[in-house]
This record gives sequence, structure tokens and C-alpha cells, in this order.
Amino acid sequence: MSQLLERKVGRKAPLTPWKKNKKQEVFPGVKSLNGRWGHLFVAPFLIMFLVFGLAPVVYSVYISFFRWDPLGGSEFTGLRNFSILLQDSDFWLAIRNTFSIWALSTFPQMFMAIGLAAIMRNTRLKAKSFFRTILLVPNITSVIAITIVFGQLFGRDFGIINGLLSLAGLDHHIDFIEGVIPSHVAIATMITWRWVGYNTLIFLASMLAIPDELFESASVDGASKWQQFRFVTLPQLKNTITFVLIVGTIGGLQVFAEPQQLAADGGSSKQFLTLTLFLFNQAFVNNKYGYAAAIGIMITFIVLIISVINFFITRKISNDGTR
Amino acid sequence: MRKTWKAKTGLAVIAALAISTGVLTTPAKAADPVTITIWTFGDVIQRNLVVEYKALHPEVTLSIKKSDLDPLNGTNMVTACTSKTGPDIVAVEVSYSGYWRSYPKCFQDLRQMKTSDANASAGIAAGLSATELKKDYLSWRWEQGVAYDDSVIGIPTDVGGLEVAYRVDLFKKAGLPTDRAAVSKLWPTWEAFIATGQKYMTKLSAADKKAGKGFIDNAGTIYAAIMNQGTEKYYKNDGTDMGKLTYDTNPQVKKAWNTTIKATESGIGTRIGQYTSDWNIGMNKGTFATILAPAWMMDYIKAQAPDTSGKWDIANLPVSGGNQGGTQLTIPSYAKNKQAAYDFLTWYLAPEQELKVFKTYGLFPAASSTYKDPALLNFKDPFFNNAPVGKIYAEGVSKLKPIFEGKLQRAIDQAIGAGLGRVAAKKMTPAKSWAQVLTDLKKVVNN
Repeated sequence: MSQLLERKVGRKAPLTPWKKNKKQEVFPGVKSLNGRWGHLFVAPFLIMFLVFGLAPVVYSVYISFFRWDPLGGSEFTGLRNFSILLQDSDFWLAIRNTFSIWALSTFPQMFMAIGLAAIMRNTRLKAKSFFRTILLVPNITSVIAITIVFGQLFGRDFGIINGLLSLAGLDHHIDFIEGVIPSHVAIATMITWRWVGYNTLIFLASMLAIPDELFESASVDGASKWQQFRFVTLPQLKNTITFVLIVGTIGGLQVFAEPQQLAADGGSSKQFLTLTLFLFNQAFVNNKYGYAAAIGIMITFIVLIISVINFFITRKISNDGTR
Repeated sequence: MRKTWKAKTGLAVIAALAISTGVLTTPAKAADPVTITIWTFGDVIQRNLVVEYKALHPEVTLSIKKSDLDPLNGTNMVTACTSKTGPDIVAVEVSYSGYWRSYPKCFQDLRQMKTSDANASAGIAAGLSATELKKDYLSWRWEQGVAYDDSVIGIPTDVGGLEVAYRVDLFKKAGLPTDRAAVSKLWPTWEAFIATGQKYMTKLSAADKKAGKGFIDNAGTIYAAIMNQGTEKYYKNDGTDMGKLTYDTNPQVKKAWNTTIKATESGIGTRIGQYTSDWNIGMNKGTFATILAPAWMMDYIKAQAPDTSGKWDIANLPVSGGNQGGTQLTIPSYAKNKQAAYDFLTWYLAPEQELKVFKTYGLFPAASSTYKDPALLNFKDPFFNNAPVGKIYAEGVSKLKPIFEGKLQRAIDQAIGAGLGRVAAKKMTPAKSWAQVLTDLKKVVNN
């Protein structure tokens, strides 16, 4: 696993694999065939990518310069959509909400996943496959179903969570929809519930790949279980943590179904309007397709910035980690 | 038309052959098997009637696809019309009719359609276009299905007459009158309605208040009720197709806003959002004593709170009748089976059928010819304490006047609704929230 990860995120992966593979021939010896067959083999992907990947992207860049009505006339407005967007308080609110929900879901989730993985790694644990399977079940549950159930748990007046809080003597009912932080916590909880098991398995796989010798020598040196975890396991997980963080960030920027199901407009003060929900509502509720396309492009820029940051962090880690 | 006639004569020959060879024993009106695809939401298309139509027309298959209202009347229809495809029938809710009236090219003009003789046995004469059908329906309601270029794009299924559903037992407990005529007299105005609510609140025990009980489920619903009692919403009919935006100048908007704020601040509402799990539970628990209930909501209440049967009753809405919701069935211009769809639609929306739907499911007929029908006027609902619901809603909807609806009505409604929500959640002062509404609306209108 860790090797695989290294290949994914590490710098050791060749940046331009095609150059290296250029000389490998599909039909050794039949020189004239190789070039053409290559095209044929990549054609299915390429056609799908052109039709469903590239074409919509190009098209949305195009319509972002228009006041676009799919059913009627559209007018060219140049950069107007972008200048409006940068002044639109909803846009900045959406960025705030997205990152807040991302932070609230990613970090607690990581701690829980590492903790769970450490438990699962324990050799004395019975019924391992059972627990591993159970962990993955939330991940294959429909997001909508999760949201409906959690929406009931978080209900202000009759929700179980508020019910438990009032049993504990807290009589002030928390409004998990109207409050800014409570609503973010509610959404982050749904995301965490869904993904913690998946990440646990990733951490577990990478923990199992740590050579036993390291632990043995650590215990010979008199390290306690906690010290073994802190000074052997955790450093070995560095690459995995980066991987989980990156995947979590990508997911975090796409949070959509949870807030949409909670309240389609993102709340009365747009307190949990995320970037993708903002885009969706502009396009498919307000029918402002050009404006929505502009939002999409801005999201792309945000992702680019994060990717660059990720790139530097990853490079630093793989430079540090000499394993 | 000619094509279908040809097909029919051809089929008649086949049918005759079939009969003579003993394949078909009854001389059924054999026709091509046809599948009518219908996009709908909620309970607009009722199962019982589908079964009935199937018995009438074994050759017709009704393929029904249900979605949520907003994606259905928004994205799905836009996509269908843009890509020149689509089902044979789409249900359009009135909150979207303002939008779709600006795009008549997406719909078949029903004035151009004529009923065939397919449903002659069910009382639908052949050769009827929408122009002939118009007289059967409530006139202001009919207008909601007429596009800006005067083509008829939809025929109404129901009208969302709005009245007050109240809990008799809770009113009694609070020392309020329980008889529906006396209850209606409690609130000739919205101010009186709020005052009644405050009176009710004083009778609640401390424990009840702590449990979040209130007079009305959600004070925010008062806004839409008041808006629909006026003659103008966010657009003024200035003779142009699009109308003139008046949301910031129309005194009715400000009046509805202020009254709703007053109701919210008086604390008579529970702040529970409608159609949430809390709402369903509250309905059972008697958390609120009143709901502003459109006719179609009666069925929802019955389904969600079956144990409260007999505890509810229906009183008049303050001021006069009200309206909320309602749907029309349309035939998209890219439908494949327009004739079959039109035949189904004219049968389904005929007064007899709308009456059946009302009696079973509570959707109130838009066909005004039923309002004098004793079957409607004498219809009493035991769930609502044997209230003559037919008579109450018929009187309510007859008082309404047509409202000119504009393209962005739904978006404006939603922005104002969010503004009221902010005040109810005590996150903004009313003045600040209204300023926010205006900024939001400027974005909706201009960007």
C-alpha cells in the first residue's frame, strides 16, 4: 500500500511516463502497426473524454462570457459575470462555508480513522473481516438516505441529539439548521460518518505494511505501546496522511448533497451554502447559466491553488521521508 | 390527424379480422398500443384514476415518473425543451407557471388540439379544443396556464384553496370557541388572527411553552397567504408580455412582510419548518393548533397524523379566501404522442374526474362547474370533524381575483422566504433582513 501511495503522491513517480514507454512496442517487430494500434486502443477513452470531459469544460468557459438563457436569447457580456461574482457576498460566504465544513470533517475524521485503524491492527482483535466490512458499509449508503436520517437526528425540536442533550440537563435546543457552526457540524458529521471507515481501511493497510522488526526493536528498546504508536507508527503513516488529506480536500470542495438535502437554498442566511451548491442554484434554480459557469471556473482556480500547495507539501514530505 | 385516422381504419380491419377469428371477443375500440410518458410530482396523478383509465383504454400504458417539484419544473423541463425531447405530459405547479408562460415555444398550444372520440363513452365529446374547455374552469385559475402569447399551455388539475385547519381539542383547552363558524369570526383580519394566537399562547402551561408549543405551525406561512389575497404580486400587468417588476414598490408586499414579521415577533408560531420531520411529529403531538392549509394539504395531514382523526376542523382564512399552489398539466411541444396525451389529459381533468380526486385525495377541483354539484357541496370529511370541506373551499376560491404572474416569481418568493426565516431565527432585525432581501433580489433580477 505504501509503495502504491508513494507512486501516487511521491516525486519518484516519473513525471512524463510516455517518454519512457515510447520504445515499447505492442507488436514487436511490426513497426508500422504500433503507432496506429496505439491510437485505436486509446480511442474509447479519448472519445469519452472529449465528449463528456473536455467539450463541457470548453463550453462552460464559452458561456461564462454570456448572459445565457438556454431557452431564449443570450447576450455577450464579456467579463461581467466574473466582476459580479467577485463582488457577490454569497460567493465569499460559500468559500467560507466550504472550507469550514472541510476542516470540521477532515481533521476529526483523520484522528478517528487512525485511532480505529490502530485498534483494528491489534492482533488480539477477533472477527477482523467482519469489522472491516462493517466499516465500509456507511460508504456505500446513499448520501440522500444518510442526510434524511441525520436530518431527523439533528431536528431542533424532536431530534434525538437535542433529546439526549436535554436529558443531560442542557435545555437549550441547538438549531442545527439555522446556526452557522451547528449546521456545519451537522454536515461535517454526515461526511465523517460516511468516510471514516474508508479512511480507516487505508490507514490500516498502510499500518500492516510497517515491518514488524521496527516494533520489535522498539519494544526491545523499552518503548511503551503509546511510544511505539507515536514514534514508529505515525511517522510511517506520513505519506498515507498526505494521501487522505488530498482526497479529503477534493471531496471537501465537492460537498453538495448533504447541504442541499438539509435546505436546498443553503439556509436562510446561506449559512451552509457551499461552492457547488451555489453553482447549482445559480444554474438550475435561478437559470443563470452563464453566471454558474463563471462560478465553475472560479472553483477550478481554487482547486488549482490548493493543488499547488499540495504539490509543495508532498514534495517536502517525500524529500524528508527518505524511506 | 390524418395519420391517426388512417391508423384507425387499418386497425378496424385488423379488429374485424380478430373478432371473426375469435381472437377478440369484445368489439373493443382497438387502437395502437401507446405509451404516454408523464412527468409529475407529489400526488398530482392519482393511482385510482390511472387504474380507471387503464380499464377504459387497455391499449394505453401510462408511464409515470415522479420527481421533486423544483428539479422537475426547473432543470428537467429546461433540459427537455433545450434538447427538443421530452415526455408527453408534464405537471407544472403554479409557482412556476409565471416562468413557463414566457416560453410558449416549449409547449403545445392546446387550442390547436382536438379531442378524438376515444373517450366518448366517458362523456368527453370529440372535437373539443382548449377554447371549448375553458368555460368549465375557474377563470382566474385558467389564466395561469395561458402563455404570454395567449396560447393555452396548461389545463388546471386543482386549485390550492387556502383555509385554516385547526385543532378542535386544543382550541377547547385554551378556552376558545370550537365551532367552525365561531372560529372563523375570531379572525376577520390578520391582526385579529395574531391576537387570537396571543390569547391562545397565554393559556399554554409553562411546560407546554418549554416544549415549544405554539398557535400556528409556522408564522412565515402567513406571508404567502396575504400575497395571494391581493391582485398583484411582484409584477404589474403593464400590457407587455413580461409585465413590470414591482416587488420593491407594491404596497401589498410590504404589508404581507410586516404582518408576517408581526406574527413572528408575537411568538405565536413554533418556528417548525413545513415538510420537515419535526413538522410531521408536531402534527401528531399537537405542538401547534393551526395550519394554513391548502386543500391539497388535507391529504398530507391525514397521512402523517392518522391518530388525530376527528380532532381537526376547517375555518375560513382571515380577510377572505386564499390560494396556495395548484397544478396544471401541459403537453410539451416535443411530445411524441400528443393526441393520446391530449385525450388522457382532457379525460383526467374533466370535472367528473377532478371531483373524484377531491373526494379521495382532497385536491380541490379547478373545474368550477363542480362547485354547484351537491356531491361537492355536501361532501363532509370525518377526519376534519365532518366539516363540509367542499363548501368551505369552494366559497374561498370563488372570492379570488387573477394575479399577474411573472417570470421570476418563484425566485423572488424564495428570497423573501429566506428573509422571513432570518428574522424568525433571530439572526437579523426585520429592517436589516429586508435590506438583505432587496440586495439578493437585485442579484436575481440583474445578474
